[in-house]
Amino acid sequence: MIVSLSWLRDYVPIEWDTDRLANALTMIGLEVDSVTDRYDHLKQVRVGRIASVRPHPNADKLKICEVAVGDETLSVVCGAPNVTEGMLSPVALPGTQFADGTVLEKSTIRGEISEGMLCSEIELGLGADRSGIMNLGSGHPLGASIKDALGLSDAVIEVDLTPNRPDCLSLIGIAREVAAIQNAPLTYPEIPPDASDGNIGELTSVIIEDPDHCPRYTAKLVLDITVGPSPFWLQDRLMSVGLRPINNIVDVTNFVMMETGQPLHAFDYDLLADNRIVVRTAKEGEPFVSLDGKEHRLSGDMLMICDGEKPVGIAGIMGGLNSEINDRTTRVLIESAYFNPVSIRRTAKTLGMGTDASHRFERGVDPAGTMRANERSARLIAELGGGNIAGGAIDANPIPYQGGRILFSVGKTNRVLGTNLNRDAMADILKSIEFSIETIDDDVLGVVAPTFRVDVSRPEDLMEEIARLSGYNNIPETTPLIPAEGRPLAMTLRFREKLRELMVGFGFSEAIAYSFAARRSGDMLNLPKDDPRRRTLAILNPLTEDQAVMRTSLIPGLLDALGRNIARQNRTVRLFEVGKIFISRGRNELPEEIEMVAGLWFGSRQDGSWLAEEAPCDFYDMKGVVESLLAGFNVPRAEFTAMPDSACNYTRSGHSAEILIDGEVIGIVGEVSSGVLASFDLEQPAFIFEIDCHQLMNRTPTEIQARPLPKFPATARDITLIVDRNLESVRILDNIRNTEETLVESVHLFDVFEGDPIPQGKKSLSFRITYRSSSQTLEDEQVNRIHRDISEKLIQSFKAELPG
Amino acid sequence: MEQTIEEIYEEAVRDIDAAADEGRIQELAVIYLGRKGKVTRYLRNISQLPAQQRPEAGKRANQVKQALNQTFRDAEERLGSAASTDERLDVSLPGRIPARGRLHPVTQINQEICDIFVRLGFDIAEGPEVEKDWYNFEALNFPKEHPARDMQDTFFISDDIVLRTHTSPLQIRIMEKQAPPVRVIAPGKVYRCDSDLTHTPMFHQVEGLLVDRNVTFGNLKGILTTFVHQMFDEQTSLRFRPSFFPFTEPSAEVDILCVMCRGSGCRVCSSTGWLEVLGSGMVHPAVFENVGYDSTQYTGFAFGMGVERIAMLKYGIDDIRRFFENDYRFLAQF
Repeated sequence: MIVSLSWLRDYVPIEWDTDRLANALTMIGLEVDSVTDRYDHLKQVRVGRIASVRPHPNADKLKICEVAVGDETLSVVCGAPNVTEGMLSPVALPGTQFADGTVLEKSTIRGEISEGMLCSEIELGLGADRSGIMNLGSGHPLGASIKDALGLSDAVIEVDLTPNRPDCLSLIGIAREVAAIQNAPLTYPEIPPDASDGNIGELTSVIIEDPDHCPRYTAKLVLDITVGPSPFWLQDRLMSVGLRPINNIVDVTNFVMMETGQPLHAFDYDLLADNRIVVRTAKEGEPFVSLDGKEHRLSGDMLMICDGEKPVGIAGIMGGLNSEINDRTTRVLIESAYFNPVSIRRTAKTLGMGTDASHRFERGVDPAGTMRANERSARLIAELGGGNIAGGAIDANPIPYQGGRILFSVGKTNRVLGTNLNRDAMADILKSIEFSIETIDDDVLGVVAPTFRVDVSRPEDLMEEIARLSGYNNIPETTPLIPAEGRPLAMTLRFREKLRELMVGFGFSEAIAYSFAARRSGDMLNLPKDDPRRRTLAILNPLTEDQAVMRTSLIPGLLDALGRNIARQNRTVRLFEVGKIFISRGRNELPEEIEMVAGLWFGSRQDGSWLAEEAPCDFYDMKGVVESLLAGFNVPRAEFTAMPDSACNYTRSGHSAEILIDGEVIGIVGEVSSGVLASFDLEQPAFIFEIDCHQLMNRTPTEIQARPLPKFPATARDITLIVDRNLESVRILDNIRNTEETLVESVHLFDVFEGDPIPQGKKSLSFRITYRSSSQTLEDEQVNRIHRDISEKLIQSFKAELPG
Repeated sequence: MEQTIEEIYEEAVRDIDAAADEGRIQELAVIYLGRKGKVTRYLRNISQLPAQQRPEAGKRANQVKQALNQTFRDAEERLGSAASTDERLDVSLPGRIPARGRLHPVTQINQEICDIFVRLGFDIAEGPEVEKDWYNFEALNFPKEHPARDMQDTFFISDDIVLRTHTSPLQIRIMEKQAPPVRVIAPGKVYRCDSDLTHTPMFHQVEGLLVDRNVTFGNLKGILTTFVHQMFDEQTSLRFRPSFFPFTEPSAEVDILCVMCRGSGCRVCSSTGWLEVLGSGMVHPAVFENVGYDSTQYTGFAFGMGVERIAMLKYGIDDIRRFFENDYRFLAQF
């Protein structure tokens, strides 16, 4: 809502300076977004003296003027008939922005350079005179800006209104709040009563077929008017709040809307079939052309204003081209109605139209203010258009407004706000904004809200009025008493926190990617048709194609981030993300939201330095991170099994493993396949892992039982076996771990070797087995014997050989 | 027998004293104590001595062997430590840096916010990011077709399902499950279809809710003032300003004095001197009715804040989109 102080002063005296006023409005809930001076654009228009006038060599009607502007003299081409030597006139310099938004540039007119422009009143928005350039009279310093010379200043305040305050979508509404905070009187415009008798009923009628959509419709008629430009005062008022003057009829309806908040519409009475109004919903598919020339197809739930035959306006949104006020209009029917806010909002949204009128109707206009606004408009139209008001008014009001009384407890209000205001103070505050008060008893007031305060229906609404007008900042700060009954932090939160700490400890930085994905992200990940991650949840109104669905994997986000990092020359990237993926259960169900953790490693294992050369990272780096992560959660036994080739959708076959705990797959680790890298415009190898957080959390021991430390020393023995190349080392490790021999404490694989002298197709694996007894120091003999037994069993089980 | 053990010993000590470096000491050790060394050979030849001399000679030879061992060790250390002065470390060379990651700045600020409220006695709760219209709007007193819904640009999945536009649905989900009193905060991702310097289609909020008997607007001011003072600093001025949220009445925006210009007006605060950091208010009785709380017995307050917004102010970040580009050079700063 834009308010000019010059207009606002019509209703309330303003005692405060503009900054104080703006701040005070903000602090009662009418947030001021900006304060500007509407004449600022005239700073670059100077007082100039026309020193000489000579004819333009190439144009009969143009003249070339030398204009003295203080220090310099400008050559200006001018076509005004009244330009005379010695006259003081405003001259706009190049760069000046006019009221209509156009910017003046230095130009050449018929071969002659013009270094500025001599302006008329209307061009500067200072008056209605368009007949010639403005005569400033005498006594102004040359070169001064005309803003200073004429003392032009008018503050324009832009208020960012919350949707609950449609009453302030009007000058009077804002003035009422200003009056309350300044404790000043509010003056409503006077509307003299109509002189003539009521004969309007003989000239027109209003039928409301859908009272739910239109509880009230008033009409007045003004006859014998002449359509023409509005007087300057009216144009000036409209321009001061950013509206463009059109003609005296339309300008009045806009003026009264801005004044009262009630949108109005003027029809050319003679263009209405049967000269009457029918308010009904549209016929399905009915065509209609609105005032802006756009054609609409209507649907059956849209409320239309019709004449005896056809629609002539979209109720509460915009009139129709077919009944528009035009130069030949002599009789005007003025509409002032109360429409159902939901009905208007739905239609406006469906048609994609938002107007000053629909903005107000959607939020709720004053249901009791329709007739008054209509009378005000009729009076002004009759005055400005030289017409007569047809006596009386039509007031179709099938659903009368019913206001209720709110019982309001002073004690409860103080208890909720934490204040200590007495009954009279509260009553005074409410009265200052036109609430009527009735005292019920010492504690309770009966309060009737004014009809324009559509947002007030409960005692709590009144509490807000009390609080905001007595000042939020005057309410003392207190601390609630909170009992000391600390509850444990949810397990998921502790788990996630630890997860993040561990990953950061492994050198990974945390990424947060958008939860959106491209529709084709399933294809980019090469997912099979029946993969659950193909069940994406589509957004009906996405911002971009790349964000059209909710993600079903964290991997694309990490690969996108990788691409961006490579483009910015970050050569080693270790990122992880903890976040949800979304698997659709159908458009009308909430999706399954699964929290995942994923990591990505790209580039080097370690950066090159004087201590060590740079080395590229590989599968085992990433696997090590996962192993360490699981160890960090004290997961007792995790397995990594080769992922079947058929399951390697976005990871490389033979370079991917499934992560299992207790035989359940909880995630994967592997190298990103070259195909998937290519679809993300990447080339060099990248390694990823992803784990279902919930699955991991559920398999994480919640309690830790400390073991006693060993009392006796351990003894280690090594063994090297030559086995088939394809034998997974974990089989031997498991075999040793699962041996019945209880003295085996641990086993560690410390070397893997292929190539000469190991035969083709074979590899050598070296293990160190640690033996320990809990009751004695082991004798060498004993250990040797056990070690020999284990070795023999391994040789047998795995068809292994000892090195030669 | 050519040399006596005493002669061998004296010769060895002379040689060791004359040695110039560690290498020579090692050579001498072989000459005297090696497998074919002089002392070793002497010991081996003891068997050829008359029987009554053997024990004494053996004992003496072993004493010499031990003494020489010690002499060699001392010599090695002496010559070695002289060498170590040449092997001083350049301690100014960079060390081996263990890889180190960083938590995302949003996570860090989120944790900081949560920590403050946990210390004040609040629980933490979480909920779904894809939400039913009922939880996101209707139960929070946003009727269908109400202009208040325009305050939040909504991503729709269907007529009835949306990406939550705020963390406020948690208020309903918590109160549906739990009888009062309630003291809880709810951090999480939220979504709005908007994208520019100060808006991203996804961002993070922290919601707060406190419901009990005798909770006042003054309490709301007290708790949020404490929060702001802990999050920023004790000197940060606040102001509470009337506003509108359908699920609170009275409603208040909380502004802090601009942390950039300290109130004199700058680009960050749009020259107002104040920055909006929190939305808040007393829980609307319609919300209590929707969850079956008795609004004659209980009152409460709710609040919500944008995590990125606070992070931007704390870290001086001017483009919210940075948070989701995951550029290493950005992430490494926090």
